[in-house]
Amino acid sequence: MDLPLSGADASVGTSTLDGIKLAVARANAQGVPGGFTFAVQALDDTQQGVHNPQQGASNVRTLIADDSVLAIIGPYNSNVAAAEIPITNQAGIVQISPSAVSDGLTLGKDAAMLRRANPGVNTFFRVCTTDSRQGSAAARFALDLKLKRAYIVDDNETYGLDLANVFARDFTKLGGTVLGRDHIAPDTQDFKALLLKIKGYKPDFIFFGGTTSTGGGLLRRQMFDVGMGKLAFMGGDGIPDIAEVAKKRADGTYYTVAAPNADRLPAAKRFVAAYKARFGSDVGPYSANAYAATQVAISAIEQAIETNGKKMPTRAEVLAKIPRNAKNEVLTPIGPISFDKNGDVRKPVISLYAIRNGRSSFIEQLNLSE
Amino acid sequence: MIYTYALVAIAACVAIERFHNRRAKTTIVLVLAVFLAVAPRFYGNDAVFSVLADAAVYVMLALGLNIVVGFAGLLDLGYAAFFAIGAYTYGMLASPQFGLHLPFWVLLFLAAALAALFGALLGAPTLRLHGDYLAIVTLGFGEIVPQIFQNLTKYTGGPNGIAALDVPTFFGHSFGASVMPYYYIALFGIAAALWLSRNLRESRLGRAWMAIREDELAAKHAGIDILRSKLAAFAIGASFSGIGGVLFAAKLALVSPDLFGFQVSVLIVSMLVLGGMGNIVGVVVGSLLLTIVNSALLPQINSLVDATFHTTVDLSNLHFLIYGAILVGIMLFRPEGLLPNRERRAELHHAGEAAADA
Amino acid sequence: MHEFLAQLANGVELGAIYALIALGYTLVYGILELINFAHGDVYTFGSFVALGILVGLRAAGALHGAGLVLGITAALVAAILASALLNAGIERLAYRRLRKAPRLAPLITAIGVSFILENLIELWQGSAPVPFPNVIPNPQLQFGELEVGVQQIVVVALAIVTMVALHFFVQRSKLGKAMRAVAQDRDAASLVGINVDRTIAMTFLIAGALAGVAGFVGGVSFGSAWFLNGFGAGLRAFTAAVLGGIGNIAGAMLGGFLIGLLESFSTWLIGGQWSNVAVFSVLILVLVFRPSGLLGETLPEKV
Repeated sequence: MDLPLSGADASVGTSTLDGIKLAVARANAQGVPGGFTFAVQALDDTQQGVHNPQQGASNVRTLIADDSVLAIIGPYNSNVAAAEIPITNQAGIVQISPSAVSDGLTLGKDAAMLRRANPGVNTFFRVCTTDSRQGSAAARFALDLKLKRAYIVDDNETYGLDLANVFARDFTKLGGTVLGRDHIAPDTQDFKALLLKIKGYKPDFIFFGGTTSTGGGLLRRQMFDVGMGKLAFMGGDGIPDIAEVAKKRADGTYYTVAAPNADRLPAAKRFVAAYKARFGSDVGPYSANAYAATQVAISAIEQAIETNGKKMPTRAEVLAKIPRNAKNEVLTPIGPISFDKNGDVRKPVISLYAIRNGRSSFIEQLNLSE
Repeated sequence: MIYTYALVAIAACVAIERFHNRRAKTTIVLVLAVFLAVAPRFYGNDAVFSVLADAAVYVMLALGLNIVVGFAGLLDLGYAAFFAIGAYTYGMLASPQFGLHLPFWVLLFLAAALAALFGALLGAPTLRLHGDYLAIVTLGFGEIVPQIFQNLTKYTGGPNGIAALDVPTFFGHSFGASVMPYYYIALFGIAAALWLSRNLRESRLGRAWMAIREDELAAKHAGIDILRSKLAAFAIGASFSGIGGVLFAAKLALVSPDLFGFQVSVLIVSMLVLGGMGNIVGVVVGSLLLTIVNSALLPQINSLVDATFHTTVDLSNLHFLIYGAILVGIMLFRPEGLLPNRERRAELHHAGEAAADA
Repeated sequence: MHEFLAQLANGVELGAIYALIALGYTLVYGILELINFAHGDVYTFGSFVALGILVGLRAAGALHGAGLVLGITAALVAAILASALLNAGIERLAYRRLRKAPRLAPLITAIGVSFILENLIELWQGSAPVPFPNVIPNPQLQFGELEVGVQQIVVVALAIVTMVALHFFVQRSKLGKAMRAVAQDRDAASLVGINVDRTIAMTFLIAGALAGVAGFVGGVSFGSAWFLNGFGAGLRAFTAAVLGGIGNIAGAMLGGFLIGLLESFSTWLIGGQWSNVAVFSVLILVLVFRPSGLLGETLPEKV
């Protein structure tokens, strides 16, 4: 696998890696056909504390050079993925990302360009949703909540900017008003200057494209310092952990997650309990995604071993066993997973949560395939 | 495997530094060149040569910065800006971004020229600045350039950058997905950069730089055109990283603003200081060493340690610590760098004391 | 007008924090000609120490009534002491050996120390931002068109008191005079019987203490501490020190406030993503016309 494990992304990177480790440990405990065991080879794609596409590409090459590697889980970031996809595509090895959400990785002309070495073959899959699915779901949720006048802020990074773009487009299309937009600079600590400016527009809510640590947490917190504490705040699946930074001030935050309501999914509950028992900490924002991605990869490898007469399968044989339709869906903590021809999850579900009294509560979900 | 290549190269550099005999030096250089050119046929894989090609780009960058800092004594903490300019030249002119698909070979020269132009543009207004004031201005420039690339989303793809850049061709043959062409071009680039550095150092301009570095006022009185010499240092130094940027972008087939931050500028300055500033061979050693630590050792340190000591420790959250400790350790025990320039050694001490006196 | 004043107040608050950090850069630079890259991380460390004390006291239920004032004081003092000792420790272990080394060796060492500190703080507190307790009540006060929070007043007041104290210390005290003497001419200072090593150590101690104050007020103002805070804040503060004329104490304060205002107003007027670009562009422009910063003495060329 390839993930950012040091520097600013370390905490999400490590909790994501733990999701992978848990899935591998469980598969080994249940026994692998042919007497094989799965192992995790963890490579870090940060350089000097920043996730780095060059390092990601180099790591993927290292993994591909090792014949015993049959599938790659990762990367975490979209621009790292853009550097890796051409290489995994060329090598014909399965790659599943838990979290790279940028549309262009699987969709349209951009994705076709990334696959130009083997245009007929797609090796890149992701268990997370795309920016466009999440952004348009968020726009619908906002209007359901009677929030009509939005001010949009993003962290000016891949995930956040794309999410904010889609939200702005769909929110306007559905009849909402975008009062203004702003991007924040890296390393910003003071958001009061920005908030004072937004205050003048009198919005119903602020939509934030980004993660808790790229500014979401501080933005929500500092809203109280300029007398905007009562305003609603909304974001995507980058901010479910916002209460850890904003504490009680997180109340009034809405966020979306690309999975069915976790409370009604037994697999999700089992996963959370098993994760806590093994690592002694709460699940990270992408631990379940990583677990699911690894489950899918393991399932494909195990089936390939079976069809290959319990012998080591080739990478192409593993690729052929990736679930493509309802019949061979893999049951995961984030719902049943199979992929469409682009490599995105079929039957995506987006859920809306709100934070009340410092705790997340489920509000509604949207089935996007309908 | 990667370590074998790196160690051979470093050992050869140390040997060149130790021998005084000109013929012995030439022999070592030739043997090393032949080894690096031929050995890949027998030993190694794509992953190894990919890292080596990246390392070679960094060696080129370090050699370029060495001209500015090592030769002319102008501390530049924003060198990554020129690297970014080179990379984005390729990214914007050889990609679907504007539908322009200029050839790689043309862009190599265009990027060198553009980077040199920006080097001169930065240099011109700041030449009156001394020492650390210059350092902070270059640092500021290094912060501004990637942020401009990040903010001008329409032209540069913003934070996503530009992906799926053109694959270069050589007389109609596409490089394809192989990393070997980049490896050989980068090797050739290093050779050219070394040759150029050596000749520049011995040239009139080179002697002017040394004079300015040692004592600007005296140099002025001796009739050296300070303005032109400094501008030349900025421009020539920057052009190296323009070329490096094109190579880097073409190999990765991607440019994005987070690849050119302050940490890259710091990395390259560290390479110089670690290896031994002003000493060409030392700079090569310093940059090889740090690239290998950064791109091969640290990302794989867990599997390496576990395989060697049969443990399951997690060192990945110690990368910064290890990297920092290497920098501090080398500086405390070899303040002049691993391979200090013998001729400069006395000067440096002298200069250090002069600075302390000031 | 209303918004202009609000941004002005915010810029002053931000500037106060930058000024405190900038003073640490300028003091050390004045005496050693060293850009102490690790200084930003000393600030982060101070922030986390204050945060730790406050969280501990709150858990013990001690932050009520008089306990609140005592608790805040304890956190501030702890941050000052911890940062001061850390900074002096860094000087003793890493920089002292390099006094006679080539100029860039201490710089690279400082960068290395910065990486080490960032990693240690990350190991200690994790890589996600940690919330800083809201200990100072923050009702908004109205002064005509100007609306400011109590928190803002506390932050700025604390910073100004610290700066005034520093000014008198450097101008009047024996140690302050020794610091100025060593900064001017180390050899001459040692000839007149000033203990140079001790003076330099004290300078680092004071610079660290200032970073500790900054760490506390920064935590209060931003509402969180993060292991990489020191990088961004340090860069801006260092820019402030250079803008004002590095080595010059009044210059660092002026530069700090200017950078704070610049960040606030550029966010308001041209957008947050351009604030860094604005800060550095102004720096470059100022230096082109005043090569030694706003208040720096124009250095005579070496004779």
